[in-house]
Amino acid sequence: MAVILVVEDEVFTRQIAEMMIQDWGHDTLSASDADEALAFLRSAQHIDALFTDIYLKDSVLGGCELAHQAIELRPKLRVLYTTGNFVTEKMKALFVAGTKCLRKPYTQDQLQDSVEALLAA
Amino acid sequence: MAVSDIGASDIVETVPSALIVLDRNLIITSANRAFYQTFRTSADKTEGCNIYDLGNRQWDIPALRTLLESVIPHRASVEGFEVEHDFPTIGRRTMLVNARKIFRPGDHDGSILLAIEDVSEERAARQESKRSWQLTQSIVDTIRDPLVVLESDMTIVTASKAFLTIFGITEAETHGRRVSELGQHQWDVPALRHLMEKVLPENKPIESFEIEDNFPGLGRRVFNLNARKISQPGNHAHRMLLVFEDITDRKQRERDVVSLTNEISHRIKNNLQVIVGLIAYEAKWTAAPCVQGYKAMQARIGAIAQLYDLISQSSRGRTVAVDAYLREIAKGISASLIGNMSGIKIEVKAEPLEIDPDRAVPFGLLVNELATNAIKHAFPHGTGHLMLSVEKIGDQIELIVADDGVGMKDEGAAKVPEKRGSDYVAIFVRQLGGTIATSGSEGTGTIVRIRLPLLLVPPGGADRLAA
Repeated sequence: MAVILVVEDEVFTRQIAEMMIQDWGHDTLSASDADEALAFLRSAQHIDALFTDIYLKDSVLGGCELAHQAIELRPKLRVLYTTGNFVTEKMKALFVAGTKCLRKPYTQDQLQDSVEALLAA
Repeated sequence: MAVSDIGASDIVETVPSALIVLDRNLIITSANRAFYQTFRTSADKTEGCNIYDLGNRQWDIPALRTLLESVIPHRASVEGFEVEHDFPTIGRRTMLVNARKIFRPGDHDGSILLAIEDVSEERAARQESKRSWQLTQSIVDTIRDPLVVLESDMTIVTASKAFLTIFGITEAETHGRRVSELGQHQWDVPALRHLMEKVLPENKPIESFEIEDNFPGLGRRVFNLNARKISQPGNHAHRMLLVFEDITDRKQRERDVVSLTNEISHRIKNNLQVIVGLIAYEAKWTAAPCVQGYKAMQARIGAIAQLYDLISQSSRGRTVAVDAYLREIAKGISASLIGNMSGIKIEVKAEPLEIDPDRAVPFGLLVNELATNAIKHAFPHGTGHLMLSVEKIGDQIELIVADDGVGMKDEGAAKVPEKRGSDYVAIFVRQLGGTIATSGSEGTGTIVRIRLPLLLVPPGGADRLAA
């Protein structure tokens, strides 16, 4: 069982993602923006992985910036991105090394495959 | 024979310059062969004559009088004295005269040696070159795009008025300097320098090298640099023409389009995610036999979103490259459907064909449906080979989806989900105005051939989009 921090500004999408992840036996922490996510990351809360949308509210690459801050706080944290945008090489260059991105819309099977691969890494 | 053995008279008769010797009274005492040939005269008409009386007084030239009567008496030698004159026998000529006083032992009066070089052609060529340079400069100054002409060592020969005005540089500041040294060194880019070094020796033009920077007085600008070798007929010296095209506005419009496209794409994808989420939520409370149907629905929505990604880069009037599109679809199917069934290989064979963006979605859904069906049903043991191919046959496109799986048992006994899948296939084929033929039997795999009308754009009608 793992603890996954889900960062997504679209409430319904975040809730459904958390529901799926919990169905597979994991715990989730919920954040709608980078500040909420960083509050969890700065706390003593155990977190195994960060699953973040790239476009967070008004910040087009907010998820990318968040992931780098998260890794600074917790170097061993696993990161999985998601985005509805076209993933360009420029965007990939901003990813934390060795991370992947799940493109929207993702199905529960695709999310499950990605989360399992993330936790197994 | 050594050079020292050659007599002075041999040298005098061999040199190309016309030589004459005058005594103190300006009487010609001797002349060489070059003089006679150049001025079409002879020794008997020349020697003993006063130079001004020579050839019906055609040598009575004010400039020559000045040289002989005012300059020579005061100086031992004169070099490069230019005399321009209309000679009745040989026409207008420009001559370069070198004069030297010669004293022999016992001869206190001395003689004057005149070496006369006919530089008429050289002067005419120089004049012509000057005229053509002035013409070129005036053309250059009328071109709105800034441009410079460079020597082979990359120093500036000339800069157009537009260049000087736009970049706020004076003409004096450009002379002899390299482009990389100008302004705030905005053009000092290693990649550009590398390309510029190849323009002259390899005759390799630079096409659209983009530089974006802050320019004093201009703000942030994007320039497209184009360079090519220029040469004059008969002249071995080559120079480089470097043109700066300001594409800031065009670039901004392109960025606005990309930004808008990304924004729309982001919204659409998020809305599709909500739909997929709704289906996932429903599936959670649905009886197990129905879950597969919900999952298939999610997969089809995912396929539409993926196809949208592939063609969203397309703007109006453009086309989608079928070959690249098919490869991307195959990549998506491999990633989403095969999962841990890594024993199934998907191969793509495609000719470089183009398809209208409006037909790209049903075409992609058709490929997706056929490939998904094959992966789900043809390989119960999780291994096999699936081939997607597109080629032009006559005035049609043939799409083939072939597998080496278990083949079809009985078409009439298709299960409901398979029946639904083949219904979709039939609908997409009909939408694209095509025909379908399926072959293969149990144990030999399945081949689905679909013929579609050729949807090429007219030659040169639109840019090709690499999906």
